[in-house]
Amino acid sequence: MKLPVMLGAAAMTLSLAATPVFADKLDDIIASGVLRCAVTLDFPPMGSRDDNNNPIGFDVDTCNDLAAALGVDAEIVETPFPDRIPALVSGRADVGVASTSDTLERAKTIGFTIPYFAFTNVVLTREDTGIGSYEELAGKNLGSVAGVYEAIALEEDFNAWDAGGSFRTFQSQADVFLALNQGQIDATVVTGTVAAATVESGNFDGFVIAGDAPYLADYVSVIALREEYGLLNYLNLFVHQQYRTGRYHELFEKWVGGGATPPSLMVPGTYY
Amino acid sequence: MFDINYTFHWNQAFRALPQMLDGALITLQIAVLSMIIGIVLGVALAVAKEARLAPLRWFAVTWIEVARNTPALFQVYMIYFGIPAVLQLVAGAFGINFRAMGINIFYLDSYWAVLVGIAFNNAGYLAETFRGGLRAVPPTQTRAARSLGFGAFAAFRLIVLPQMFRAVFHPMTNQMVWAILMTSIGIFVGLNTDLTGVTQELNARTFRTFEFFALAAAIYYVIAKIVTGGARLIAWRLFRY
Amino acid sequence: MLGTSVTWGDITFMMTGAGLTLAITFWAMLGGTLAGVVFGLIRAQSPWYVNYSMGTVLDVLRSVPLLIQFILFNSFQSILGWGMNPFVVGCVVLAAYTSAFCTEIVRGGILAVPITTRRAARSLGMNYWQDMTYIVLPLGTRVMLPSWIGLTLGVMKDTALVYAIGVIELLRSSQIIITRKPHEALVILAIAGLIYFLVSFPVSRLGAHLEKKWREND
Repeated sequence: MKLPVMLGAAAMTLSLAATPVFADKLDDIIASGVLRCAVTLDFPPMGSRDDNNNPIGFDVDTCNDLAAALGVDAEIVETPFPDRIPALVSGRADVGVASTSDTLERAKTIGFTIPYFAFTNVVLTREDTGIGSYEELAGKNLGSVAGVYEAIALEEDFNAWDAGGSFRTFQSQADVFLALNQGQIDATVVTGTVAAATVESGNFDGFVIAGDAPYLADYVSVIALREEYGLLNYLNLFVHQQYRTGRYHELFEKWVGGGATPPSLMVPGTYY
Repeated sequence: MFDINYTFHWNQAFRALPQMLDGALITLQIAVLSMIIGIVLGVALAVAKEARLAPLRWFAVTWIEVARNTPALFQVYMIYFGIPAVLQLVAGAFGINFRAMGINIFYLDSYWAVLVGIAFNNAGYLAETFRGGLRAVPPTQTRAARSLGFGAFAAFRLIVLPQMFRAVFHPMTNQMVWAILMTSIGIFVGLNTDLTGVTQELNARTFRTFEFFALAAAIYYVIAKIVTGGARLIAWRLFRY
Repeated sequence: MLGTSVTWGDITFMMTGAGLTLAITFWAMLGGTLAGVVFGLIRAQSPWYVNYSMGTVLDVLRSVPLLIQFILFNSFQSILGWGMNPFVVGCVVLAAYTSAFCTEIVRGGILAVPITTRRAARSLGMNYWQDMTYIVLPLGTRVMLPSWIGLTLGVMKDTALVYAIGVIELLRSSQIIITRKPHEALVILAIAGLIYFLVSFPVSRLGAHLEKKWREND
């Protein structure tokens, strides 16, 4: 056999054999033609369902943009908050666009991109409770979603106040609102956009926003498996470009709107 | 197939063990209280189902059938989210708006909702068990007691009930284990202090689902074994001739 | 509909959920019964060490909350990268759980057939399988079927817990609608409860009826 032929054959074998070994998640997504996004659908306006029970929202649109950038079709995998990670780890979803707060605790398990959204938290209550500010929550019956950023902050303050009342956690944002609506809890701390969307929806009579909660901004990131550097790199650039091109502001206007300014994803005076 | 891409952080789970054991105490507390209420109501329902008064019978039948033919999760959900809505509706129909008056009579803490829900469920299942147990006590026993001068209630309490409890002790133990396992659905109505609730919060904070829930499963198993073992001991002490 | 804002679309959505509830029940019962029959046969006639070790494993399934089994298995299969969808996870876990109960039912059914009857069959020249098919099966079924029906209903109600791993079955679909129409929470929950009841109640009556009828003939 002649040398060039041998080399060619060797190169061929090598490339055939090598492809599956070196193909990472990013390659897999592009090859499969489908991007599966884990999205939480009880968290309006980030993710919710329309009248025909189809997924809509900021996160859903972000997922569609990402799929378009990758040149593949988007598929929404509905995941309640606690199911976001199992969905990713098991490969049921490729990425999570599900308002995941980028805590250091969680980063031990899952990979975060740079923030794609930031929430400020507000107090949401019913008119009849007479609660007017965050400080007045002491001694009241409070609730939030299990393990989320604002729940952890609220529970810390609840314990520090030590003024009675109760603190309960629920498995979904919807259950928190329902509990507030039914009088099982008197107030909750929730991200501002969600509170605004909920009050505006008119689904819940008598819900009012009673001022800001004095927490640091809650930055949320797109998540992927911790070891998928290729994908995480791509996602970082994608998130950055959403911001840079103004698409982020466009989506904010579409889903939140109401004259509110989109939260700045830049930390003043520092870098991310 | 066994290409594990995950490193277990067991240490993190074991560090949370004290917190989880505190949760286990709450779990046990709810289960025991719900059993006590369930037994009392179960006996009452079993008797009511055989009552001569029709409305009493219907009430008992409705309770038992709803408890047995819908999921426990549904029942707890209904008690937590549904009952307040009913009360509000009823009050509203009478033109009373408690909310506007600043009174929240609909407030039901998660803990109580779970307790009431499981007690409701226990009562329904135990009523059927007790009915079987009552049948197992020969009617001649009552007659003998009555002819010895016992009143109707005394005969029931002192002669029939003890014999019935002996007959149904084993199914009652099963129900107790059931009650313990059932408390886990409390997380759906905001309960965050029982074993599952504590575990779920740790999970949501750290995303270490497997480690925390595996530990919780082990704790549940140990509790269930202690309960069945204890029941066997009690049965041996109480029911030997 | 019904003077409320609950639409037919919502009802259809709930019915889809109810269909999923029944589908999970079906697969779990199928898998659980097949495994339960095999395990029950083994447990009823194997030496104590097989019987005990098997009993212990099955006992674990009965002593850990089903909810936790769902979450645990779901995360376990995630770690192994099996990528099962939640529906399959639900069916598998529920089938394993069912098999633990079904094993006891089958074992009880086999042991309920008097050993003298079986000896008589064998002495009439029947072999093991003939004894099983013509003697144990018909007699044991009378003991087993009512409990098996009870188990089916139990499993159907337990499907409500797959909620936790994100399967949109009846209760979860109701909850999704409540998210959008919280003021109708009561109506929606009542409809969900009614659907469970309408499926469960007739079957449980049938079970009670069979139990009574067969007991009379004993």
